[in-house]
Amino acid sequence: MASKNESWDLKATKQLYQEYLNRSLKGQKRKILPVETVEIDDLNKTEALTRIREFTESIIEKIYQNGRPSIFLPSRTTGNIIWDEENDLLLLGKQIMEKQFHSLASVADMTRLMKVLEKVNELLLKDLHATKREIFYSAVTLFGDQKNSDKCIEDVASMLYTTRNSTHIVASAKGSCVGRLRIRDRNDIIDLEGLGGGGWTISPMLDNIEIIESDAEFILVIEKDAAMMRLAEARFWRKYPCILLTAQGVGNVAVRMFLKRLSKELNLPVFSLVDSDPYGHYIHSVYLRGSKRLSYESPFLATPKIKLLGVLTRDLDKYKIPNSVRIPMNKQDIKRTTDLLNEDFVKKNKNWEEDLKLALKLKIKAEIQAFSSHGFEFLTDRYLPEKLTTGDWI
Amino acid sequence: MRIFHKKDGGIVQLIDKDEIKEWPVELPLIFIEYIRKNKLPNYNDKNVEKEIEQYLDDILTEIAIPRMISVLDGDDETEIKTVLERIDDLAKKKLELVQPIKSYIEKLDKKSSKKDINKVCGSILSTFIKEENKKKLAEKRKLMRQIEQEFLEGKISDKDYSKARKEYLIMKE
Repeated sequence: MASKNESWDLKATKQLYQEYLNRSLKGQKRKILPVETVEIDDLNKTEALTRIREFTESIIEKIYQNGRPSIFLPSRTTGNIIWDEENDLLLLGKQIMEKQFHSLASVADMTRLMKVLEKVNELLLKDLHATKREIFYSAVTLFGDQKNSDKCIEDVASMLYTTRNSTHIVASAKGSCVGRLRIRDRNDIIDLEGLGGGGWTISPMLDNIEIIESDAEFILVIEKDAAMMRLAEARFWRKYPCILLTAQGVGNVAVRMFLKRLSKELNLPVFSLVDSDPYGHYIHSVYLRGSKRLSYESPFLATPKIKLLGVLTRDLDKYKIPNSVRIPMNKQDIKRTTDLLNEDFVKKNKNWEEDLKLALKLKIKAEIQAFSSHGFEFLTDRYLPEKLTTGDWI
Repeated sequence: MRIFHKKDGGIVQLIDKDEIKEWPVELPLIFIEYIRKNKLPNYNDKNVEKEIEQYLDDILTEIAIPRMISVLDGDDETEIKTVLERIDDLAKKKLELVQPIKSYIEKLDKKSSKKDINKVCGSILSTFIKEENKKKLAEKRKLMRQIEQEFLEGKISDKDYSKARKEYLIMKE
Protein backbone atom coordinates (compact mmCIF):
# COMPACT_ATOMS: atom_id res chain seq x y z
CA MET A 1 0.00 0.00 0.00
CA ALA A 2 2.91 2.37 0.68
CA SER A 3 4.58 3.71 -2.38
CA LYS A 4 8.00 5.30 -2.31
CA ASN A 5 7.12 7.33 -5.42
CA GLU A 6 4.33 9.26 -3.78
CA SER A 7 5.42 12.80 -3.12
CA TRP A 8 4.09 14.94 -0.35
CA ASP A 9 4.84 18.64 -0.09
CA LEU A 10 3.75 19.06 3.58
CA LYS A 11 1.70 22.05 2.42
CA ALA A 12 -0.50 22.30 5.51
CA THR A 13 2.47 22.02 7.88
CA LYS A 14 4.40 24.71 5.97
CA GLN A 15 1.33 26.97 6.08
CA LEU A 16 1.07 26.51 9.82
CA TYR A 17 4.76 27.32 10.23
CA GLN A 18 4.30 30.47 8.12
CA GLU A 19 1.36 31.51 10.31
CA TYR A 20 3.57 31.17 13.41
CA LEU A 21 6.32 33.20 11.77
CA ASN A 22 3.92 35.95 10.71
CA ARG A 23 2.50 36.05 14.21
CA SER A 24 5.97 36.34 15.73
CA LEU A 25 6.82 39.17 13.32
CA LYS A 26 3.79 41.05 14.63
CA GLY A 27 5.22 40.54 18.09
CA GLN A 28 4.48 37.77 20.54
CA LYS A 29 1.67 38.45 22.93
CA ARG A 30 3.00 38.05 26.46
CA LYS A 31 1.28 35.21 28.24
CA ILE A 32 -0.80 36.66 31.04
CA LEU A 33 -1.89 34.15 33.64
CA PRO A 34 -5.20 34.53 35.46
CA VAL A 35 -4.96 36.58 38.67
CA GLU A 36 -6.32 33.75 40.76
CA THR A 37 -3.34 31.51 39.91
CA VAL A 38 0.15 31.27 41.35
CA GLU A 39 2.91 32.64 39.17
CA ILE A 40 6.28 30.93 39.33
CA ASP A 41 9.67 31.80 37.84
CA ASP A 42 12.40 29.83 36.14
CA LEU A 43 15.48 30.92 38.09
CA ASN A 44 19.17 30.76 37.42
CA LYS A 45 21.59 29.53 40.09
CA THR A 46 22.21 32.93 41.69
CA GLU A 47 18.54 33.87 41.72
CA ALA A 48 17.60 30.52 43.28
CA LEU A 49 20.23 30.94 46.00
CA THR A 50 18.95 34.45 46.73
CA ARG A 51 15.43 33.11 47.06
CA ILE A 52 16.58 30.41 49.51
CA ARG A 53 18.41 33.04 51.57
CA GLU A 54 15.35 35.30 51.69
CA PHE A 55 13.19 32.35 52.66
CA THR A 56 15.45 31.24 55.53
CA GLU A 57 15.81 34.82 56.74
CA SER A 58 12.04 35.08 56.97
CA ILE A 59 11.95 31.93 59.12
CA ILE A 60 14.69 33.27 61.41
CA GLU A 61 12.75 36.50 61.76
CA LYS A 62 9.64 34.56 62.84
CA ILE A 63 11.71 32.67 65.40
CA TYR A 64 12.92 35.98 66.86
CA GLN A 65 9.41 37.42 66.82
CA ASN A 66 7.37 34.68 68.49
CA GLY A 67 9.43 31.48 68.61
CA ARG A 68 6.79 29.68 66.54
CA PRO A 69 7.97 29.61 62.94
CA SER A 70 5.86 28.31 60.10
CA ILE A 71 6.01 28.28 56.35
CA PHE A 72 3.39 29.01 53.75
CA LEU A 73 3.23 27.21 50.45
CA PRO A 74 0.69 26.86 47.64
CA SER A 75 -1.69 23.94 48.15
CA ARG A 76 -1.27 21.28 45.46
CA THR A 77 -4.57 19.50 46.08
CA THR A 78 -6.93 18.77 43.16
CA GLY A 79 -9.29 21.46 44.40
CA ASN A 80 -6.62 24.07 43.85
CA ILE A 81 -5.91 23.15 40.22
CA ILE A 82 -7.41 25.54 37.72
CA TRP A 83 -7.72 25.13 33.94
CA ASP A 84 -6.80 28.38 32.28
CA GLU A 85 -8.94 28.36 29.14
CA GLU A 86 -7.21 31.34 27.54
CA ASN A 87 -3.72 29.79 27.64
CA ASP A 88 -4.94 26.18 27.70
CA LEU A 89 -2.92 25.35 30.80
CA LEU A 90 -3.52 23.59 34.09
CA LEU A 91 -2.38 25.99 36.80
CA LEU A 92 -2.21 26.14 40.56
CA GLY A 93 -4.73 28.34 42.34
CA LYS A 94 -3.93 30.72 45.16
CA GLN A 95 -4.96 28.49 48.08
CA ILE A 96 -2.11 28.62 50.56
CA MET A 97 -1.42 26.15 53.33
CA GLU A 98 0.57 26.73 56.47
CA LYS A 99 3.04 24.23 57.90
CA GLN A 100 4.14 24.80 61.47
CA PHE A 101 7.49 23.79 62.86
CA HIS A 102 6.31 23.24 66.42
CA SER A 103 3.36 20.93 65.73
CA LEU A 104 3.90 17.25 66.53
CA ALA A 105 1.93 16.29 63.45
CA SER A 106 4.18 18.17 61.10
CA VAL A 107 7.57 17.98 62.77
CA ALA A 108 8.80 15.02 60.69
CA ASP A 109 7.50 16.61 57.52
CA MET A 110 9.18 19.91 58.35
CA THR A 111 12.52 18.24 59.13
CA ARG A 112 12.42 16.45 55.79
CA LEU A 113 11.49 19.65 54.02
CA MET A 114 14.40 21.51 55.59
CA LYS A 115 16.76 18.67 54.69
CA VAL A 116 15.72 18.92 51.03
CA LEU A 117 16.14 22.70 51.18
CA GLU A 118 19.64 22.21 52.59
CA LYS A 119 20.46 19.78 49.77
CA VAL A 120 19.14 22.19 47.14
CA ASN A 121 21.30 24.93 48.61
CA GLU A 122 24.33 22.63 48.45
CA LEU A 123 23.63 21.64 44.83
CA LEU A 124 23.28 25.26 43.76
CA LEU A 125 26.43 26.35 45.59
CA LYS A 126 28.46 23.54 44.03
CA ASP A 127 26.71 23.94 40.64
CA LEU A 128 25.79 20.26 40.64
CA HIS A 129 22.60 18.42 39.74
CA ALA A 130 21.02 15.45 41.52
CA THR A 131 18.17 13.08 40.75
CA LYS A 132 15.23 12.53 43.08
CA ARG A 133 16.69 9.14 43.90
CA GLU A 134 19.97 10.70 45.01
CA ILE A 135 18.10 13.10 47.28
CA PHE A 136 16.35 10.14 48.88
CA TYR A 137 19.68 8.38 49.44
CA SER A 138 21.19 11.50 50.98
CA ALA A 139 19.11 10.85 54.14
CA VAL A 140 17.44 7.44 53.86
CA THR A 141 16.61 7.14 57.56
CA LEU A 142 14.96 10.54 57.68
CA PHE A 143 12.91 10.08 54.51
CA GLY A 144 12.02 6.42 55.12
CA ASP A 145 10.42 6.12 51.70
CA GLN A 146 11.21 7.89 48.42
CA LYS A 147 7.59 9.05 48.26
CA ASN A 148 8.37 11.35 51.21
CA SER A 149 11.48 12.89 49.68
CA ASP A 150 9.72 13.28 46.29
CA LYS A 151 6.88 15.16 47.97
CA CYS A 152 9.34 17.43 49.80
CA ILE A 153 11.16 18.16 46.51
CA GLU A 154 7.93 19.40 44.97
CA ASP A 155 7.09 21.31 48.16
CA VAL A 156 10.48 23.06 48.13
CA ALA A 157 10.05 24.11 44.49
CA SER A 158 6.53 25.44 45.06
CA MET A 159 7.56 27.07 48.36
CA LEU A 160 10.29 28.96 46.50
CA TYR A 161 7.84 29.71 43.67
CA THR A 162 10.15 28.20 41.09
CA THR A 163 10.45 25.21 38.77
CA ARG A 164 11.96 21.96 39.95
CA ASN A 165 14.77 22.28 37.44
CA SER A 166 15.75 25.59 39.04
CA THR A 167 16.46 23.67 42.25
CA HIS A 168 18.97 21.50 40.35
CA ILE A 169 16.98 18.38 41.26
CA VAL A 170 16.41 16.80 37.90
CA ALA A 171 14.55 13.92 36.34
CA SER A 172 16.60 10.95 35.22
CA ALA A 173 17.43 10.88 31.52
CA LYS A 174 14.60 9.15 29.71
CA GLY A 175 13.72 10.53 26.30
CA SER A 176 15.69 10.92 23.13
CA CYS A 177 15.79 13.39 20.28
CA VAL A 178 17.10 13.19 16.74
CA GLY A 179 16.88 15.29 13.58
CA ARG A 180 17.68 18.69 12.19
CA LEU A 181 18.98 20.33 15.33
CA ARG A 182 22.32 21.46 16.75
CA ILE A 183 22.68 22.21 20.45
CA ARG A 184 25.38 23.34 22.86
CA ASP A 185 25.96 21.38 26.04
CA ARG A 186 28.40 23.58 27.99
CA ASN A 187 31.49 23.57 25.72
CA ASP A 188 30.36 20.90 23.27
CA ILE A 189 28.42 21.32 20.06
CA ILE A 190 26.16 18.34 19.43
CA ASP A 191 24.71 17.56 16.01
CA LEU A 192 21.49 15.60 16.46
CA GLU A 193 21.65 14.37 12.87
CA GLY A 194 24.98 12.72 13.41
CA LEU A 195 24.31 10.47 16.37
CA GLY A 196 22.82 7.48 14.56
CA GLY A 197 19.28 6.25 14.97
CA GLY A 198 19.46 6.31 18.76
CA GLY A 199 19.81 10.07 18.79
CA TRP A 200 20.67 12.27 21.74
CA THR A 201 19.48 11.31 25.20
CA ILE A 202 17.63 14.38 26.44
CA SER A 203 19.73 15.77 29.26
CA PRO A 204 17.83 16.54 32.45
CA MET A 205 20.40 19.30 33.09
CA LEU A 206 18.66 21.62 30.69
CA ASP A 207 20.22 24.73 32.16
CA ASN A 208 23.41 23.60 30.39
CA ILE A 209 21.67 23.17 27.04
CA GLU A 210 21.25 25.83 24.37
CA ILE A 211 19.72 25.55 20.90
CA ILE A 212 22.21 26.92 18.39
CA GLU A 213 21.02 25.94 14.91
CA SER A 214 18.16 24.25 13.16
CA ASP A 215 16.69 24.01 9.68
CA ALA A 216 13.73 21.91 10.78
CA GLU A 217 10.19 22.84 9.77
CA PHE A 218 8.26 20.90 12.39
CA ILE A 219 8.65 18.80 15.52
CA LEU A 220 7.15 15.36 15.92
CA VAL A 221 6.70 13.90 19.40
CA ILE A 222 6.36 10.13 19.31
CA GLU A 223 4.87 8.08 22.12
CA LYS A 224 6.71 4.87 21.43
CA ASP A 225 10.31 3.91 21.00
CA ALA A 226 9.38 1.35 18.33
CA ALA A 227 7.80 4.04 16.14
CA MET A 228 10.77 6.31 16.79
CA MET A 229 13.07 3.52 15.60
CA ARG A 230 11.04 3.14 12.42
CA LEU A 231 11.34 6.87 11.68
CA ALA A 232 15.00 7.00 12.65
CA GLU A 233 15.82 4.03 10.45
CA ALA A 234 14.09 5.73 7.53
CA ARG A 235 16.08 8.93 8.33
CA PHE A 236 12.68 10.61 8.14
CA TRP A 237 14.18 14.06 8.89
CA ARG A 238 16.26 14.01 5.71
CA LYS A 239 13.24 13.93 3.40
CA TYR A 240 10.96 15.90 5.70
CA PRO A 241 12.99 18.46 7.68
CA CYS A 242 12.00 17.83 11.26
CA ILE A 243 13.04 17.10 14.81
CA LEU A 244 11.86 13.80 16.30
CA LEU A 245 11.45 13.33 20.00
CA THR A 246 10.27 10.49 22.18
CA ALA A 247 9.81 10.04 25.90
CA GLN A 248 8.90 6.35 25.67
CA GLY A 249 5.51 6.97 27.26
CA VAL A 250 4.42 10.00 29.26
CA GLY A 251 6.97 12.79 28.94
CA ASN A 252 8.95 13.37 32.12
CA VAL A 253 9.91 16.86 33.28
CA ALA A 254 13.11 16.97 31.19
CA VAL A 255 11.40 15.89 27.96
CA ARG A 256 8.47 18.26 28.39
CA MET A 257 10.72 21.16 29.32
CA PHE A 258 12.99 20.48 26.33
CA LEU A 259 9.99 20.29 23.98
CA LYS A 260 8.69 23.55 25.41
CA ARG A 261 12.09 25.16 24.77
CA LEU A 262 12.22 23.86 21.19
CA SER A 263 8.70 25.01 20.47
CA LYS A 264 9.21 28.44 22.02
CA GLU A 265 12.63 29.24 20.63
CA LEU A 266 12.25 27.76 17.15
CA ASN A 267 8.56 28.62 16.84
CA LEU A 268 7.90 25.43 14.88
CA PRO A 269 4.64 23.50 14.54
CA VAL A 270 4.59 20.60 17.01
CA PHE A 271 2.70 17.34 16.45
CA SER A 272 2.21 14.24 18.52
CA LEU A 273 1.99 10.68 17.30
CA VAL A 274 0.46 8.42 19.92
CA ASP A 275 -1.46 5.15 20.05
CA SER A 276 -5.12 5.37 19.24
CA ASP A 277 -6.21 4.69 22.81
CA PRO A 278 -7.16 6.80 25.85
CA TYR A 279 -3.64 6.52 27.28
CA GLY A 280 -2.18 7.91 24.04
CA HIS A 281 -4.65 10.79 24.17
CA TYR A 282 -3.72 11.36 27.82
CA ILE A 283 -0.02 11.51 26.87
CA HIS A 284 -0.88 14.13 24.25
CA SER A 285 -2.89 16.08 26.84
CA VAL A 286 0.07 16.16 29.24
CA TYR A 287 2.27 17.72 26.55
CA LEU A 288 -0.56 20.07 25.63
CA ARG A 289 -1.55 21.59 28.96
CA GLY A 290 0.54 19.97 31.68
CA SER A 291 -0.17 17.37 34.33
CA LYS A 292 -2.25 17.93 37.43
CA ARG A 293 0.57 16.88 39.75
CA LEU A 294 2.98 19.46 38.35
CA SER A 295 0.37 22.10 37.58
CA TYR A 296 2.44 24.81 39.30
CA GLU A 297 5.11 24.28 36.63
CA SER A 298 2.75 24.11 33.64
CA PRO A 299 3.81 27.41 32.05
CA PHE A 300 7.33 25.94 31.78
CA LEU A 301 6.35 22.41 30.81
CA ALA A 302 3.28 22.59 28.59
CA THR A 303 3.27 23.13 24.84
CA PRO A 304 -0.21 24.49 24.19
CA LYS A 305 0.23 24.64 20.43
CA ILE A 306 0.92 20.89 20.03
CA LYS A 307 -1.45 19.20 17.57
CA LEU A 308 -2.64 15.62 17.79
CA LEU A 309 -1.55 14.25 14.42
CA GLY A 310 -2.56 10.67 15.12
CA VAL A 311 -3.34 7.93 15.47
CA LEU A 312 -6.95 9.16 15.47
CA THR A 313 -9.87 6.75 15.72
CA ARG A 314 -11.15 8.02 12.38
CA ASP A 315 -7.78 7.10 10.81
CA LEU A 316 -8.44 3.42 11.39
CA ASP A 317 -11.17 3.30 8.73
CA LYS A 318 -9.61 5.96 6.52
CA TYR A 319 -6.37 3.97 6.25
CA LYS A 320 -8.18 0.63 6.17
CA ILE A 321 -6.56 -0.78 9.29
CA PRO A 322 -7.62 -4.46 9.33
CA ASN A 323 -9.84 -5.66 12.14
CA SER A 324 -7.18 -8.21 13.08
CA VAL A 325 -4.89 -5.43 14.41
CA ARG A 326 -7.64 -3.42 16.12
CA ILE A 327 -7.95 -4.16 19.81
CA PRO A 328 -11.25 -4.14 21.74
CA MET A 329 -11.33 -1.58 24.57
CA ASN A 330 -11.39 -2.98 28.11
CA LYS A 331 -13.30 -1.52 31.07
CA GLN A 332 -10.38 0.68 32.09
CA ASP A 333 -10.05 2.08 28.55
CA ILE A 334 -13.74 2.95 28.53
CA LYS A 335 -13.46 4.64 31.93
CA ARG A 336 -10.36 6.59 30.87
CA THR A 337 -12.04 7.72 27.64
CA THR A 338 -15.12 8.82 29.57
CA ASP A 339 -12.91 10.68 32.07
CA LEU A 340 -11.14 12.47 29.22
CA LEU A 341 -14.48 13.42 27.67
CA ASN A 342 -15.40 15.07 30.98
CA GLU A 343 -12.32 17.28 30.97
CA ASP A 344 -13.00 20.93 30.12
CA PHE A 345 -10.08 21.13 27.69
CA VAL A 346 -11.51 18.23 25.65
CA LYS A 347 -15.04 19.63 25.70
CA LYS A 348 -13.65 22.87 24.28
CA ASN A 349 -12.01 21.05 21.35
CA LYS A 350 -14.90 19.68 19.29
CA ASN A 351 -12.68 17.64 16.92
CA TRP A 352 -11.01 15.93 19.82
CA GLU A 353 -14.31 15.27 21.57
CA GLU A 354 -15.73 13.77 18.36
CA ASP A 355 -12.78 11.41 17.94
CA LEU A 356 -12.98 10.20 21.54
CA LYS A 357 -16.74 9.70 21.21
CA LEU A 358 -16.14 7.65 18.07
CA ALA A 359 -13.63 5.50 19.98
CA LEU A 360 -16.21 5.01 22.72
CA LYS A 361 -18.88 4.12 20.19
CA LEU A 362 -16.71 1.61 18.31
CA LYS A 363 -15.02 0.43 21.54
CA ILE A 364 -11.77 -0.18 19.71
CA LYS A 365 -8.20 0.98 20.02
CA ALA A 366 -5.02 0.45 17.99
CA GLU A 367 -1.30 0.93 18.34
CA ILE A 368 0.87 3.00 16.01
CA GLN A 369 2.42 -0.30 14.89
CA ALA A 370 -0.95 -1.32 13.41
CA PHE A 371 0.14 0.50 10.24
CA SER A 372 2.78 -2.18 9.72
CA SER A 373 -0.06 -4.35 8.45
CA HIS A 374 0.30 -2.31 5.23
CA GLY A 375 4.08 -2.71 5.18
CA PHE A 376 6.89 -1.40 7.37
CA GLU A 377 7.28 1.79 5.30
CA PHE A 378 3.61 2.78 5.39
CA LEU A 379 4.05 4.99 8.45
CA THR A 380 6.99 6.93 7.02
CA ASP A 381 6.10 6.94 3.32
CA ARG A 382 2.36 7.44 3.40
CA TYR A 383 0.59 8.00 6.72
CA LEU A 384 2.72 10.77 8.23
CA PRO A 385 3.53 12.68 5.01
CA GLU A 386 -0.11 12.58 3.91
CA LYS A 387 -1.39 13.89 7.24
CA LEU A 388 1.26 16.60 7.37
CA THR A 389 0.35 17.62 3.81
CA THR A 390 -3.42 17.62 4.22
CA GLY A 391 -3.50 19.10 7.71
CA ASP A 392 -5.53 16.21 9.09
CA TRP A 393 -4.82 16.79 12.77
CA ILE A 394 -6.63 17.87 15.94
CA MET B 1 16.94 32.98 17.01
CA ARG B 2 18.09 34.67 13.82
CA ILE B 3 15.99 33.51 10.84
CA PHE B 4 17.26 33.02 7.27
CA HIS B 5 14.74 32.32 4.50
CA LYS B 6 15.63 29.91 1.72
CA LYS B 7 14.26 30.20 -1.82
CA ASP B 8 12.54 26.82 -1.59
CA GLY B 9 10.53 28.03 1.41
CA GLY B 10 12.82 26.37 3.94
CA ILE B 11 14.14 28.22 6.96
CA VAL B 12 17.45 28.15 8.78
CA GLN B 13 17.59 29.41 12.35
CA LEU B 14 20.80 30.36 14.12
CA ILE B 15 21.29 31.44 17.70
CA ASP B 16 21.09 35.17 18.27
CA LYS B 17 24.29 37.19 18.64
CA ASP B 18 23.23 38.48 22.05
CA GLU B 19 23.10 34.92 23.43
CA ILE B 20 26.61 34.21 22.13
CA LYS B 21 27.95 37.14 24.15
CA GLU B 22 27.33 35.07 27.31
CA TRP B 23 29.33 32.05 26.10
CA PRO B 24 32.76 30.92 27.33
CA VAL B 25 35.30 33.07 25.58
CA GLU B 26 36.65 30.51 23.07
CA LEU B 27 33.29 29.01 22.10
CA PRO B 28 32.15 31.61 19.53
CA LEU B 29 35.17 30.70 17.36
CA ILE B 30 34.32 27.01 17.56
CA PHE B 31 30.70 27.77 16.66
CA ILE B 32 31.71 29.86 13.63
CA GLU B 33 34.03 27.16 12.36
CA TYR B 34 31.43 24.46 12.99
CA ILE B 35 28.69 26.20 11.00
CA ARG B 36 31.06 27.14 8.18
CA LYS B 37 32.44 23.67 7.78
CA ASN B 38 29.50 21.42 8.59
CA LYS B 39 26.31 23.31 7.87
CA LEU B 40 26.85 25.97 5.19
CA PRO B 41 27.56 23.47 2.38
CA ASN B 42 24.31 21.65 3.14
CA TYR B 43 21.84 24.53 2.99
CA ASN B 44 21.80 24.38 -0.85
CA ASP B 45 20.94 28.05 -1.19
CA LYS B 46 23.59 30.52 -2.33
CA ASN B 47 21.80 33.56 -0.91
CA VAL B 48 21.33 32.01 2.51
CA GLU B 49 24.94 30.84 2.50
CA LYS B 50 26.06 34.40 1.77
CA GLU B 51 23.84 35.91 4.46
CA ILE B 52 25.00 33.37 7.03
CA GLU B 53 28.66 33.95 6.08
CA GLN B 54 28.09 37.64 6.77
CA TYR B 55 26.37 36.86 10.07
CA LEU B 56 29.28 34.63 11.13
CA ASP B 57 31.77 37.34 10.17
CA ASP B 58 29.82 39.76 12.35
CA ILE B 59 30.01 37.34 15.27
CA LEU B 60 33.74 36.98 14.69
CA THR B 61 34.51 40.69 14.56
CA GLU B 62 31.93 41.91 17.07
CA ILE B 63 32.10 39.17 19.69
CA ALA B 64 34.71 36.42 19.34
CA ILE B 65 37.89 38.43 18.74
CA PRO B 66 37.08 41.45 20.99
CA ARG B 67 36.19 39.18 23.90
CA MET B 68 39.46 37.27 23.71
CA ILE B 69 41.45 40.47 23.28
CA SER B 70 39.74 42.15 26.21
CA VAL B 71 40.69 39.24 28.45
CA LEU B 72 44.30 39.19 27.20
CA ASP B 73 44.58 42.94 27.65
CA GLY B 74 43.14 42.82 31.16
CA ASP B 75 44.81 42.45 34.54
CA ASP B 76 43.13 39.31 35.81
CA GLU B 77 46.00 36.85 35.56
CA THR B 78 43.90 33.82 36.46
CA GLU B 79 41.42 34.64 33.70
CA ILE B 80 44.21 35.36 31.23
CA LYS B 81 45.80 31.99 32.00
CA THR B 82 42.48 30.17 31.63
CA VAL B 83 41.81 31.84 28.27
CA LEU B 84 45.36 31.20 27.09
CA GLU B 85 45.01 27.52 27.94
CA ARG B 86 41.78 27.37 25.92
CA ILE B 87 43.46 29.17 23.02
CA ASP B 88 46.36 26.72 23.28
CA ASP B 89 43.96 23.76 22.98
CA LEU B 90 42.18 25.43 20.10
CA ALA B 91 45.46 26.27 18.33
CA LYS B 92 46.49 22.63 18.47
CA LYS B 93 43.17 21.56 16.97
CA LYS B 94 42.53 24.37 14.47
CA LEU B 95 45.25 26.98 14.26
CA GLU B 96 43.56 29.29 11.74
CA LEU B 97 40.83 30.01 14.30
CA VAL B 98 43.27 31.79 16.58
CA GLN B 99 45.28 33.50 13.82
CA PRO B 100 43.59 36.91 14.41
CA ILE B 101 44.86 37.03 18.01
CA LYS B 102 48.45 35.94 17.32
CA SER B 103 49.82 39.49 17.60
CA TYR B 104 48.11 39.94 20.99
CA ILE B 105 49.71 36.76 22.28
CA GLU B 106 53.15 37.92 21.08
CA LYS B 107 52.60 41.25 22.84
CA LEU B 108 51.45 39.53 26.03
CA ASP B 109 54.46 37.18 25.96
CA LYS B 110 56.81 40.19 25.87
CA LYS B 111 54.85 42.16 28.48
CA SER B 112 54.26 39.47 31.10
CA SER B 113 56.81 38.45 33.68
CA LYS B 114 54.71 35.58 34.99
CA LYS B 115 56.32 32.24 34.19
CA ASP B 116 53.10 30.30 33.80
CA ILE B 117 51.64 32.89 31.40
CA ASN B 118 54.84 32.98 29.34
CA LYS B 119 54.83 29.20 29.25
CA VAL B 120 51.35 29.00 27.67
CA CYS B 121 52.10 31.93 25.32
CA GLY B 122 55.25 30.06 24.26
CA SER B 123 53.25 26.91 23.63
CA ILE B 124 50.73 28.77 21.42
CA LEU B 125 53.45 30.63 19.52
CA SER B 126 55.42 27.43 19.00
CA THR B 127 52.30 25.91 17.41
CA PHE B 128 52.33 28.84 14.98
CA ILE B 129 56.05 28.30 14.29
CA LYS B 130 55.51 24.57 13.76
CA GLU B 131 52.70 25.33 11.34
CA GLU B 132 54.83 27.83 9.44
CA ASN B 133 57.66 25.30 9.27
CA LYS B 134 55.25 22.66 8.02
CA LYS B 135 54.17 24.98 5.23
CA LYS B 136 57.78 25.83 4.36
CA LEU B 137 58.69 22.13 4.36
CA ALA B 138 55.77 21.30 2.09
CA GLU B 139 56.93 23.98 -0.34
CA LYS B 140 60.52 22.74 -0.13
CA ARG B 141 59.36 19.15 -0.70
CA LYS B 142 57.58 20.24 -3.82
CA LEU B 143 60.65 22.09 -5.00
CA MET B 144 62.86 19.11 -4.15
CA ARG B 145 60.76 16.83 -6.35
CA GLN B 146 61.25 19.27 -9.19
CA ILE B 147 65.03 19.41 -8.56
CA GLU B 148 65.21 15.58 -8.46
CA GLN B 149 63.45 15.43 -11.79
CA GLU B 150 65.79 18.01 -13.27
CA PHE B 151 68.80 16.15 -11.83
CA LEU B 152 67.62 12.90 -13.41
CA GLU B 153 67.22 14.68 -16.71
CA GLY B 154 70.77 16.03 -16.32
CA LYS B 155 69.59 19.62 -16.27
CA ILE B 156 71.40 20.42 -12.99
CA SER B 157 74.78 19.36 -11.64
CA ASP B 158 75.33 16.85 -8.81
CA LYS B 159 76.81 19.70 -6.75
CA ASP B 160 73.62 21.81 -7.02
CA TYR B 161 71.50 18.77 -6.32
CA SER B 162 73.42 17.79 -3.17
CA LYS B 163 73.27 21.39 -1.94
CA ALA B 164 69.48 21.48 -2.34
CA ARG B 165 69.14 18.02 -0.78
CA LYS B 166 71.22 19.10 2.24
CA GLU B 167 69.05 22.20 2.77
CA TYR B 168 65.92 20.06 2.57
CA LEU B 169 67.20 17.50 5.11
CA ILE B 170 68.21 20.24 7.57
CA MET B 171 64.77 21.78 7.32
CA LYS B 172 63.12 18.40 7.73
CA GLU B 173 65.01 17.78 10.96
